[in-house]
Amino acid sequence: MLVKEMMRRPVTVVPVGATLGEANQILQARGFRHLPVMDQGRLVGVLTDRDIRFATSSLCPEPRSGDDPVSLAMSSPPLTADPLDPVEDAARIMREHKIGCLPVLDGGELVGILTGMDLLDALMSLTGVTKPSSRLEVALVDRPGELARLTALLATRHVNIHSILTYPTPDEAVRTVLRVDSNQIRSLADDLRAAEFNVLWPLPKLRPVQ
Amino acid sequence: MTVLIHRAEYAGYDFGPEHPFTPARLAMLLDLLQGLGHPATPLAAPAATREDILSIHDEAYVAMVEALDRGEARPEAERFGLGTPDNPIFPGMDLAARWLVGGTLHGARMLMDGADTRVLQLGGGLHHAQKDRAAGFCLYNDLAVAIRAFVDHGWRVAYLDIDLHHGDGVQNLFYDNDRVLTISLHETGHYLYPGTGHIQELGSGPARGLSVNVPLEPFTESDSYLEAFESVVPRVLEEFSPHVLVVQAGADAHFADPLGDLALTTQAFETLYRRILDLAKTHTQGRALFTLGGGYDAQVVARVWAILYLTLMDLPIPEALPVAWLARWKHLLGPEVGRTLHDPVPAFEALPGREERMRRNRDVVGRLQDSLLRYWL
Repeated sequence: MLVKEMMRRPVTVVPVGATLGEANQILQARGFRHLPVMDQGRLVGVLTDRDIRFATSSLCPEPRSGDDPVSLAMSSPPLTADPLDPVEDAARIMREHKIGCLPVLDGGELVGILTGMDLLDALMSLTGVTKPSSRLEVALVDRPGELARLTALLATRHVNIHSILTYPTPDEAVRTVLRVDSNQIRSLADDLRAAEFNVLWPLPKLRPVQ
Repeated sequence: MTVLIHRAEYAGYDFGPEHPFTPARLAMLLDLLQGLGHPATPLAAPAATREDILSIHDEAYVAMVEALDRGEARPEAERFGLGTPDNPIFPGMDLAARWLVGGTLHGARMLMDGADTRVLQLGGGLHHAQKDRAAGFCLYNDLAVAIRAFVDHGWRVAYLDIDLHHGDGVQNLFYDNDRVLTISLHETGHYLYPGTGHIQELGSGPARGLSVNVPLEPFTESDSYLEAFESVVPRVLEEFSPHVLVVQAGADAHFADPLGDLALTTQAFETLYRRILDLAKTHTQGRALFTLGGGYDAQVVARVWAILYLTLMDLPIPEALPVAWLARWKHLLGPEVGRTLHDPVPAFEALPGREERMRRNRDVVGRLQDSLLRYWL
């Protein structure tokens, strides 16, 4: 999943000469929290609603007024992303710098903006359910070929896989969560157990009192 | 009294011997009712027409089902959810599905005519079928076709789904319709098919707050299930004030069902059926249309739906299963069938972590109520 698939466009921007009052009005009216600041078609900074609140607060060492230019309150130079960056790389930058957005530049041109909200959308889309499916969870031995062995077994059963997520666990097994296009998941789990997979979900069937 | 709808043609909805949604389940049920001394005398309804189906489904999808029905090879079938392990292609599938839809629709029309107040369709309940695709053993959505007919008649419809699985097809088809309330209690989609039915799915536009989902923990068991039902269902029915109740009475929430783990007993099902009839009496002048649904352990399904039938017909629930029936269906009943219609008490050994699951279910119900309050409670 690439930044260009999850970013927003077109981007609302302010010129570097705009006042804090004007910028505040745009943020309020549009329900945004981040405004890229432009100077002659070039990105020079990012202004957030928090920047405005602090700059105009009496607690600011040099309090500004609504008539001052945005350049006195913006972050500059801004951190940016490339449209072809994987979203996880963009997420890492935002997380490490504790920032809420990344303007997206393509050869110096501002083509979009990626915010924390867009990353939540990405998370929902990566882990979410878009087609009817069941969850199958397997702890794979951490060695080459195990995932292939798992998917090959599903292929022989003609079961379509909608998504696969894998993540490491402290016990060195690779936790693998699949969403598969079948309602008949218990018999599938039984087959996987017979093939010596450690199936975490679904559990074997509860047996009644005899 | 309750009008029964069924006909021999329902047995034609058959995905083959390896498939869990087998018509043998219905044959066993009818034979059990006979053996209990209360043979069903059902009314045979006409098949739904192509136009009836098109009141819900896309023309392209229906045309695909018809082409596959005729035996035409269509490589794009899987895009419509057809020809998969869940929904295999079989000759005659279009008409087989239309018989089932016809029964449910006929039941709806009888209620609209005012001839009767209670209908039990011994078949149907194909709640996963979507506008443009088959899903989870369901080709055409008989429930949605019936609900559409009620809505066109000017009625507000409350749909109640007690199948193990989320009633996603019906919910999606009426997601923005403010004349239809859908309530589904099911094992949480975090684990189970179809993966939806979360408390955040509340309906859209004018119908915000009219999709109500109660996703429950695996191994919920009867007490926690009934508690969640009582916390949600009576109140939303009271608020919505429907003209009719449509009930998808799947039996797969039973503890022995191979597809899931909600772990209900037959006693819980009987309590639930009686409570639903009470609620119909209070909110819809008794008007209720019941269909069957999921349920994949032959001996369980026969027993649970026999209890449904006897309860709806106001008949006593006998204790013993007929010896002749046990002998006749031995090959399908498996080793775990007892000698009684109800489950033994206790039905299974106590499951560890019961209190924790009950608390989690209460938390989910609380969060659902917090969301619903914002819209209309």
